[in-house]
Amino acid sequence: MPILALDTATLVSSVALATADTLLAEMTLETKKNHSEQLMPHIEQLLALAEVSKSEVEAVAVSIGPGSFTGLRIGLATAKALAYAWKVPVVGVPTLAAMAFGCPVPGAILAPTLDAQKGNLYLALYSGQGGAVTPIGKPRVVNHSDAFAELAKMDEPVVVLGEAVKLYSSQLASEPRLYIAGPHIAMPRAANVAFLGLSMLAAGEKHDVMTLEPMYIRRSEAEELWDKRRSCLG
Amino acid sequence: MSLILGLETSCDETSAAIIADGRTIFSNIISSQIDIHQKYGGVVPEIASRKHIETVIPVVDQALKTAGADIRDIAAIGVTYGPGLVGALLVGVSAAKALAFAADRKLVGVNHLEGHIFANFLAHRDLEPPFVALVVSGGHTSLVYQRDYNEFELLGQTRDDAAGEAFDKVARVMQLPYPGGPYIERLAAEGNPEAISFPRARTGENYEFSFSGLKSAVLNHLNSAKQKGETINGPDVAASFQKAVVDVLVAKTVKAALASAVDKIVLAGGVAANSFLRTELAASCNKAGLGLYYPPLELCTDNAAMIACRAYYKYQAGEWADLRLNAIPSLKLGEKKYFVEKK
Ligand SMILES: [Zn+2]
Repeated sequence: MPILALDTATLVSSVALATADTLLAEMTLETKKNHSEQLMPHIEQLLALAEVSKSEVEAVAVSIGPGSFTGLRIGLATAKALAYAWKVPVVGVPTLAAMAFGCPVPGAILAPTLDAQKGNLYLALYSGQGGAVTPIGKPRVVNHSDAFAELAKMDEPVVVLGEAVKLYSSQLASEPRLYIAGPHIAMPRAANVAFLGLSMLAAGEKHDVMTLEPMYIRRSEAEELWDKRRSCLG
Repeated sequence: MSLILGLETSCDETSAAIIADGRTIFSNIISSQIDIHQKYGGVVPEIASRKHIETVIPVVDQALKTAGADIRDIAAIGVTYGPGLVGALLVGVSAAKALAFAADRKLVGVNHLEGHIFANFLAHRDLEPPFVALVVSGGHTSLVYQRDYNEFELLGQTRDDAAGEAFDKVARVMQLPYPGGPYIERLAAEGNPEAISFPRARTGENYEFSFSGLKSAVLNHLNSAKQKGETINGPDVAASFQKAVVDVLVAKTVKAALASAVDKIVLAGGVAANSFLRTELAASCNKAGLGLYYPPLELCTDNAAMIACRAYYKYQAGEWADLRLNAIPSLKLGEKKYFVEKK
């Protein structure tokens, strides 16, 4: 059963097609081009290259965040519309979990990160056991220096994944206790979304194509300002 | 029978519609966010985009179900790709491209302003181009010569604020709720439009508009009255302001129609719901021997039926978009991007 997976949570545009035990095809690009112009053409090309027809796709998996708000919405609008028109299940895969899933080092703490702007990171921790990863706590927003200090203090070896690897490369290089994943392991990839999505579906997780939303973690600036203003007024 | 699915997410309404043969509405589902944006005094782009991604599929589903149609019964999918808020537009454009690809249907990119004009074709079965159209809304004030279904000439537009924007800003200063247009209109109905002489920005002999000077004049009037401790006559201010806006709109539109040698004027956009504008324009059209068309209230504000109607005529002409279609936030009227010729 081929599953189509999309990840547009960051600057990386990635689409993949997989069956239970095979990655049939993956296109992963990190260029200056925007998601809107390339995502649908890539999906079309991917299906053609893998010689999989539209009617054969049995599920759609999508990276739901956290990440770039606009990127997430392009991915979700596309995934939901495809699943709706094809009448197949959609599964929303947490972006950080998918990155950890792609690097299941036994006995290590996996620390996938995404840029949360203004020196902050989205961070979630996972432990690797066999081929699976288990979350330790929830995804959160944390200052990058605080995050690195926290990770450096851990007893287990820590593998840093995601956007922090590139954004804060020199700072990370000065933390001898942290393992930094290579660029191809660190980046979000749709293959990870496909296989974590498949295991979520196999575990009976069901998401509704009508209501599936991005995982923003953060509220919009307008809402935060509004609440701040209200609390000032008492 | 040729069915078109229209999708509209350019601002604060998520809407999907099914129309048949370009002129008959089978369904027109609109999910409005006005309540959500009201407390911020205007549309907040990030909040609008978040709402669109929640409602886009339910709205499409409801439009299809209400019309008794399946996505495979549709000939083409038309979607607004500009102008508008980029994040909001991208939700509709992404969904429309995926639907068109998944169901193997044609994709048509629609200019939102052209859509507003086409609301009139849904309301008036006998209406045909050529005509001069006045598109007035919270975001736009444009005079358009529409030669044929797919041929537009922008005669002029606003240099600063849109007419609807001026209404909203004046309403805000007068502490009326958002969106302020309807409140100004209601207040103005009880006032004297000749009470205060606000400036009419003629901006020379061309077809351009300017409303920021008028807006400042209203603010100055309110401030100086406040400083002098005078009580402000709200209805008179509203009526005089509204008259100043409408005078300019009516004069330029009628002038453009006569200069273009057309025999009818078409009114479109959210401000076309203003009954004072309708009455004044009707009187002037009557005097000049021009026909006047405007849509019913529910087709004046943003809706997907008008987008589907515009898409129908582009679809017929073979002006289809490919899967690279992108949101163009400042798309110009008559501008065409990514269409492929009919084979
Ligand atoms: Zn509009």
